[in-house]
Amino acid sequence: MSAVIETSGLGRQYRRKWALRDCTLAIPEGHVVGLVGPNGAGKTTLLRLAAGMLAPTCGAITVLGDRPGAGPAELAQIGFVAQDTPVYVRMTVADHLRLGGWLNPGWDDALARQRIGQLGLDSKQRAGSLSGGQRAQLALTLALAKRPGLLILDEPLASLDPLARREFLQVLMEAVAAQGLSVVLSSHLVADLQRVCDYLIVLVASRVQIAGEVSDLLDSHHRLSGPLREPRSLPASQKVITESHTDKQSRLLIRTDEPVLDPSWTVKPISLEDLVLAYMSPVGNNAPAKPQALRVVS
Amino acid sequence: MIRLSLLQLRAQAITAAVAVSAFAVLLAATGPHLASMYAASGLHGCRPANCSQLASNFLQQVDSTGPYATVSPLSIALIAFTPAVIGLFWGAPLIARELETGTFDLAWSQSVTRTRWLAVKLAVGGLAAMTITEALSLLFTWWAAPLNRAVGQGGSGNSLAMNQFNPLAFATHGITPLGYAAFAFALGVTVGAVIRHTGPAMAVTLAIFAAVQIAMPLWIRPNLLPASHTTSTITDDTPSSLRRTDSPHIITYTLAAGGLPGQPEAWIQSSGATDTKGHPVSTVLPSACSAARGSGSSEDLAKCLTSQGIRLGVTYQPASRYWPLQGAETGIFLVLSLVLIGYCFRRISRLP
Amino acid sequence: MNSRRMGMLEVGERLPTAQQVVAELAINPNTVHKAYRELEREGLVRARPGLGTFVIRVPSGVDPAARSRFLAELTGWLRSARAAGLGPDDIEAIYRTGLRSCFAERVA
Repeated sequence: MSAVIETSGLGRQYRRKWALRDCTLAIPEGHVVGLVGPNGAGKTTLLRLAAGMLAPTCGAITVLGDRPGAGPAELAQIGFVAQDTPVYVRMTVADHLRLGGWLNPGWDDALARQRIGQLGLDSKQRAGSLSGGQRAQLALTLALAKRPGLLILDEPLASLDPLARREFLQVLMEAVAAQGLSVVLSSHLVADLQRVCDYLIVLVASRVQIAGEVSDLLDSHHRLSGPLREPRSLPASQKVITESHTDKQSRLLIRTDEPVLDPSWTVKPISLEDLVLAYMSPVGNNAPAKPQALRVVS
Repeated sequence: MIRLSLLQLRAQAITAAVAVSAFAVLLAATGPHLASMYAASGLHGCRPANCSQLASNFLQQVDSTGPYATVSPLSIALIAFTPAVIGLFWGAPLIARELETGTFDLAWSQSVTRTRWLAVKLAVGGLAAMTITEALSLLFTWWAAPLNRAVGQGGSGNSLAMNQFNPLAFATHGITPLGYAAFAFALGVTVGAVIRHTGPAMAVTLAIFAAVQIAMPLWIRPNLLPASHTTSTITDDTPSSLRRTDSPHIITYTLAAGGLPGQPEAWIQSSGATDTKGHPVSTVLPSACSAARGSGSSEDLAKCLTSQGIRLGVTYQPASRYWPLQGAETGIFLVLSLVLIGYCFRRISRLP
Repeated sequence: MNSRRMGMLEVGERLPTAQQVVAELAINPNTVHKAYRELEREGLVRARPGLGTFVIRVPSGVDPAARSRFLAELTGWLRSARAAGLGPDDIEAIYRTGLRSCFAERVA
């Protein structure tokens, strides 16, 4: 399976601060990728680099085999919806569709009109008077109707109420099923992503903590609890992610590709949300000083 | 992309269309009568001795009848302000508003590069700006032709009689409005790209444009082409004045050229007292002329100053310099516009 | 999948397309594809390219008598475990470990 996004040592610096560094990923196509992390972790930076809206300070990134934003053909492959779904407030919904048609050679007008109709949006209404959910849907329609190979959404659900969120995801998943496109969306709410994402990237403090298929990640991480144990005494194939100890008990989160056979452990699976939290906690993520700053599961 | 630029300029275009139409209607309603007044004044084919007087009479007549005395300054104001308005309301928001509202994320993630986006928007807006401003100017030139002809034939006496080099006239006739419009537009776009907020960008654009529009006629235009010099004899027609200074025995005088004989359309840049060779002299009244001063007669004063070897020296641009100066000034503004635009393209491709 | 097991669909009926399922449930299409492939592997459905996925066999379900037998055995085991001092969490942990090792071949 070829990669939809491939990065190598990608980094972006603003004045003195690095918003993203040492980012090396190979995201396979045909997935819905969730990008999670706390605010300020660098999610928007990574998404904008992938969309071609930002240039890297160091390293390289290719999207669908090309440098993003290099020219019209490369721009046509990517649909981007920025945070807060910007629209032209004085232009009508119909004007926005016209804009899409004029600026995109691959524009599918029938698809755009059908979606607007399904959403029940009034073509003559100014975009500024739409509700937050309707604006998000309009922005999504514009991005989908240009028929991109990759859709990039920056916190699309953040300011939507639960019903609007559900409707947005329904429309998005239907488009993924129909058009076979890849999606990368960011959020700091894991619950939203749990339904739709089958690939996960955790970004904390401008570095990738972990990246991989959700099913592989869940299968390879286990929660162990049992009598007090020195983590170093575990087999080498078991990597400790987080640990906590009392006088008598140890609780560990480990990662391993082999079954846990030691009978002194009680082994439980981990939910996606807890997995993300573990990697987001200061104990679970890597301090910048360590050389291995990433984990990639292909 | 062209259609999108037009769509986004919709509101401004409507305002412009209304203004231009109203202006055209006003001029079309009043222009023909002005022309017929000129025809009836006998200025066409007048004998050289009479022309100057007939012209002044005509101008006086126009000033006192009908709306012409208001239409003319109104038109001048409109044409003079149009470039500034364009710079503020067309230029400043072009990039600044997109950055302010975040819509650049929408515009620049379509299948059009930023360079192409800006190029088309600049071309559409810039061409429209130049066309509109020049159209206003041409309309006004057509309307004011009788007045300008009268001035060329030596007429004077009221505010309608404007020499073609008068800063207001120079800025509203010919091709200079083209240059101003292009510069104001380019300036607005550039300031907007740097400041990134529409309101402050408008204020800064206005300040810079106003400063340039003041500096040009005051300091730059007079020095664009080398001036000519001439001396002429002081006569009793030469405007002059005497002034007593603080020291009781020192009187100073000034001389001014009311015009150049035979060159009513030349641009008098400066005039004053000179010797026969044209070098400026002291303006302290020679003691020999105290008596002439005492008599109160300007003819006596003139004869006395002349006998002292004092002449009226005039620094001027001949009328033939009109089009070269128009071309040079317009050229300067067009080049400035191109430089600003070049900077905009660089700026826009760097923006995060 | 549950409705399949409850026998709500009959032989010959077409399953909803992945597009229809995700438009309703807002879940990842790959999940639906995997589930349909699983059903196909179990021999319950067959995918016909261009036409859809059709039910070819309804699962026989577990014999009710066998069900009651397993429930009785489990209840007995649970009582002993509880008597030995195990709480619900311990029991669940043991259960999961056993379940995982029993079905390990299927997971891989």
